[in-house]
Amino acid sequence: MDNSNKTGLAQFADNLKSVKSSFVGSFSRGGWPTSDKGRTSTVVNNFFLHLHTAKTHINTLKPSYTLGMGLISFFLLVIAFISGGFLMVYYSPSTTTAFNAVKDINFVVFGGQLMRNIHKWSGEAMIIFVILHMVRIVYTNSYKQGREFNWVIGIVLLILTFVLNLTGYMLPWDQLSYWALVIVANIAAAPKELTDIFNGMFGITLPDIGGATKEVLLGGTEPGQESLTRVYLLHILLLPLAICVFLGVHFFRIRKDGGLTRPANVSAGSGESIISPPEKKGGIFPTHKTYGLMELSKGRTPAVDTDIENTVTSWPNLFIAEIAVFMFTLAAVVAYSYFFDAPLKEYANPMIPENPAKAPWYFLGLQELVSYSAFMGGQGLPGLALAGLIAIPFLDRENRDIGIWFTNKQGKAIAIESFIVGSVAVIGTLAFVVTQGWFREWWPEIHQLWIVAINPGNLLLGFVMVYTLWVIKRTNSTRMGAISLITFFLVCYVILTYTGTVLRGPNWVFYWSPSDWPIH
Amino acid sequence: MGRFNTRCKLFLPLAGILMFAMALVPAAYGQEDEDAAYDALIAKGKAAYNVRCALCHGKDGDGKGEMKSVTRVEKTGRTIVVTPWDFTRAVFRFRTTPTGCLPSDADLERTIRKGISASLMPAHGHIDGDEIEGIIEYIKWFSEDWDEFDPDDESCFPVAINKPEFVGSADSIARGEVLFKKNKCFECHGVDGKGDGDKAKDLKDDWGNRILPFNFTTGNMKRESTAEAVYLTLASGLDGTAMPGYNEAIKEEEKWHIASYALKLMGLIKSEDGH
Amino acid sequence: MNSRFYLSLMLISSLVLMAFLAIAFNREMTPVWKDYQTEYKETLIKNAKDDGTRERAEKIQVGLQQIYIKALNKSDRCTSCHAGVENPLMAAAEVPYKQHSGNYLKNHPLPKFGCTLCHRGQGRALNIAEAHGEEHQHWDFPIVPAKYIQSSCASCHDYKMLETEGGEKVAKGEKLFREKGCLGCHKLNGVGGALGKDIAGIANKAYYYFSMAAVVGERNMYSWIKQHFDDPRKIVPESQMRAFLTDEEADLLTTYMLTFRTDEMPRSYRLIKNIDKVATDGKSMYTAYCSACHSDGKTSVYDEIFARTIPAIRNPSFLKTISNSELKRIVKEGRKGTQMTAWKSEAAGLTEKQIDEIVKYVAKDRPSEKSRPFNVAKIKSDIERGAEIYNNRCALCHGEEGKGGENLLGMTLRDSALSPEFIAITVRDGRKGTPMVPFGNGGIGLSNQEIADTVAYVKNLTNDKK
Repeated sequence: MDNSNKTGLAQFADNLKSVKSSFVGSFSRGGWPTSDKGRTSTVVNNFFLHLHTAKTHINTLKPSYTLGMGLISFFLLVIAFISGGFLMVYYSPSTTTAFNAVKDINFVVFGGQLMRNIHKWSGEAMIIFVILHMVRIVYTNSYKQGREFNWVIGIVLLILTFVLNLTGYMLPWDQLSYWALVIVANIAAAPKELTDIFNGMFGITLPDIGGATKEVLLGGTEPGQESLTRVYLLHILLLPLAICVFLGVHFFRIRKDGGLTRPANVSAGSGESIISPPEKKGGIFPTHKTYGLMELSKGRTPAVDTDIENTVTSWPNLFIAEIAVFMFTLAAVVAYSYFFDAPLKEYANPMIPENPAKAPWYFLGLQELVSYSAFMGGQGLPGLALAGLIAIPFLDRENRDIGIWFTNKQGKAIAIESFIVGSVAVIGTLAFVVTQGWFREWWPEIHQLWIVAINPGNLLLGFVMVYTLWVIKRTNSTRMGAISLITFFLVCYVILTYTGTVLRGPNWVFYWSPSDWPIH
Repeated sequence: MGRFNTRCKLFLPLAGILMFAMALVPAAYGQEDEDAAYDALIAKGKAAYNVRCALCHGKDGDGKGEMKSVTRVEKTGRTIVVTPWDFTRAVFRFRTTPTGCLPSDADLERTIRKGISASLMPAHGHIDGDEIEGIIEYIKWFSEDWDEFDPDDESCFPVAINKPEFVGSADSIARGEVLFKKNKCFECHGVDGKGDGDKAKDLKDDWGNRILPFNFTTGNMKRESTAEAVYLTLASGLDGTAMPGYNEAIKEEEKWHIASYALKLMGLIKSEDGH
Repeated sequence: MNSRFYLSLMLISSLVLMAFLAIAFNREMTPVWKDYQTEYKETLIKNAKDDGTRERAEKIQVGLQQIYIKALNKSDRCTSCHAGVENPLMAAAEVPYKQHSGNYLKNHPLPKFGCTLCHRGQGRALNIAEAHGEEHQHWDFPIVPAKYIQSSCASCHDYKMLETEGGEKVAKGEKLFREKGCLGCHKLNGVGGALGKDIAGIANKAYYYFSMAAVVGERNMYSWIKQHFDDPRKIVPESQMRAFLTDEEADLLTTYMLTFRTDEMPRSYRLIKNIDKVATDGKSMYTAYCSACHSDGKTSVYDEIFARTIPAIRNPSFLKTISNSELKRIVKEGRKGTQMTAWKSEAAGLTEKQIDEIVKYVAKDRPSEKSRPFNVAKIKSDIERGAEIYNNRCALCHGEEGKGGENLLGMTLRDSALSPEFIAITVRDGRKGTPMVPFGNGGIGLSNQEIADTVAYVKNLTNDKK
């Protein structure tokens, strides 16, 4: 640029004239990409876009492969974050003002009710999509070859999703909030059931772990201002922070593990060699060995063994897909929120228990189990279930057929079989309990230890374990066991949740429909 | 001889056999024995009556005993003053016999044994059979009407009770409700069966005393609180009170429908669908 | 192929999103109160008789109205719809444009009192169902029906003033409450019997405190209270409440009961001209605490609700046999096994002095001559003979176990505090004016020996812990 012969002022005027283009240029650096190289560098040079690889495998873009579950979950989180920020402007976390604040959001804040609905429904939809995402991962055999630990992080994210939703449920401080908090606190205190049994049994006194947990959660022995402060802190700071960190790690590891899984046979010319990718097919990628930082740490470049001939540039292919899924998610949430209002009941009243006092719907499967045994239903069984889920990638290590739905025909058959057997087992167990009762109804004097040890929930878990082992033995494949296990998990969660939500009325009595509940 | 015959009524089912036996035995032979036994029975009845009954019904059976009257407050707040029954009038309410007839001995015995809880007449279920027999015979001394009463008169035979299956069914209750209106029961008993009908204010018994119609919602009929009792009341009336017998006026089946509705009013049938 | 899918997904989603945002925006822009206010404004303009009025009407700005009352932490937005409450021009208009009836607003300016302070309902809400707290709107205190609205006056005013200055219904209700003897069973502010529920703060109880299963019509606190007066056992099946009221009386009492609120008004809101005095003479207290069950106390009455006979406590022949101190003991401690509750200050909140007054009133008609004494202790009694007499003579009314009860005319005899002499005198002399006839020489003719035997058997029953 030949600027030297201009005066400073003229120079300034020129700069002022071109400020728009220079600003945009400085922002996007390369300008609108027109070549593969440009597209690649756009991705690499952008903080947000560089979360992605420069090129994306075509399998990743196939809607029928991922069903977009993970992405939808993430976008729901984004929507919840943004709408949550909006709600925070009006909300105040005090037992005296919280309820009125929510009422005001509903009644006078412009678009407040809609925003609250969006926040509520996006959060709860996240639970559904995170679980479906998990199921997809197992069905497509995508938890192997370095992804084992990312699966574990996924479970942590699932738990965080649950807890975020739960803490949010408590903030309006209405009857729902209050009594859900009571239930959760009681579940937290559930080890008391166990310690009480052993206390004085062998002349020992166990510490009341359950009671202590409850007190930490509530900031006292009963729900009150302290509890609300704690729950609020969790909901707006600690848990979002944690979910961001774990999500970051989750994404980072997906990237480092070479993107999403895909079947090995998608590409015809995928090279056997780890070192040398096929010549000239990968566009800009080097056809000879170089040493980048990644190679030093990993022994190969990220592009190696990535089936380059079946990739397309992420810009714009992947980003259009992502934006489309985001728009879809947002549109769906807004439409749902337009029609369905987030519930808000009477102001919290410690004197008048809700009957039935129910936890939020996503925990009602657990509450059904809690109705058998507080400790097993509230902590034991969910703990074991989560441990079982975490263990899947470590117990099934057959590194074949990655990225194929159900692996093969047999897998599909096992999934269907498990679905049917699981449904029959759960519905059968529930029908038995509802019609026949359990130990406490048969022998009112029975020691609680018997019920903690033998209750419908435990039997169900035992059945699932035995059946899964039988599947492994029969098919001679741990992979089939994993498919069976995740199917059982899904079926149990759905049916138990449905039972707890719809079929259980006042005093946790069975009714076919809430319209049959007696009038209070 | 008349008194002898009334005694036979105690053994109503055996009456025929007894008559047959009497024909076989020479009349003069039995007469003296029977008279002595009868006198003993009356003596026993008198003693028992004076201990158990005279407090309220009076030594002369005129209902003017020491106790005078009792007061009862119903659940709806209606106050009823009950005076003991006057046997000298020889009019009885709780009969199985048609209206206008005297009651059978079995009717009297039932009242004595079960009492009338709704008017606080105590139940005397525990006392001996011949003591009750004696009391029944003794009560008959208070009026000459008993002498003229012929229990063999077919027109005074007890009303037959054949309770049909449908009593208490939802359909029967609904029909009963219609009949309750059609037969103008509500004029005295009130639309809700609370005994507060328009005519209730002016009801008097045959001797000019103020009386109140039955309040079904108390659930406690003077005659037992059963469908049969309602049926009998409809069939034979409550002689002496304002409640007439409807034996002819209301059809057999209809009486049972009304009985169903009465049970419902008395709260003895839970709502139809069992809730 | 995939890109086409994503592009169309993006397009359709965006269109759907925009459509919903548009209708949501429209919904936000057209709340129900805007229609009402617009109509209110147009009515004013149309009906304006002179230019000044029209001009003023045209200047009205349609917008959300709110009365914020700092002292009460209330935000009442009712005037957003009820725009004409302060406008005399709207006196003849329809609800919600109508002017507030009466001249209540003159003394209760809106900026200080708002609306929900008296009318209740949900002041923050801006749609009809939620603002009025209609059924299933999750609001515990719906709009107070007009016939009970005077209940709110008592939050700040005394009854003497209310009687003459626009609060006659609640004042009448208050009087009725004492006359009907509600406190005989219900505790209010620490005073009252224990048979019924404590009714303090009842008007601030949540919806779910009341069992609505049998309530007819709108299910809320107001219907519940009214209908439980009409037919107590229909609303609460196990209730023993003796409420024999006309429809009008039930409404008045409902109005009064709705004054039992827990939210206390700030001092600057209250206007007490007279200190309401609760009468503490024996007669008034007897009416308030005893008359619901004992009525005038002259005759004993079999009661179907209690399923036992209620004694005639002011019957002269009863008073003849019992001393004031004995009466006082019964009032203070109650009678076990019956509905009679203890009235001592720890239980029912009556002071020693008040109980003395009541006892004095109860014993007012005691005859001057005392009962002839009956020295039971001197007679050697035969319990077996007593049992025979008891079962023949007494059990019919007092029950074989001596407890009285359902369809039995007699009282319970199983009170260890009943002295043998008291029983003996009663058996001998009877209780004139009740079904208890004299069994002694003056009546049935039992000898003193026989009476003593019977008393021994009765006392034996009492000791028997059956």
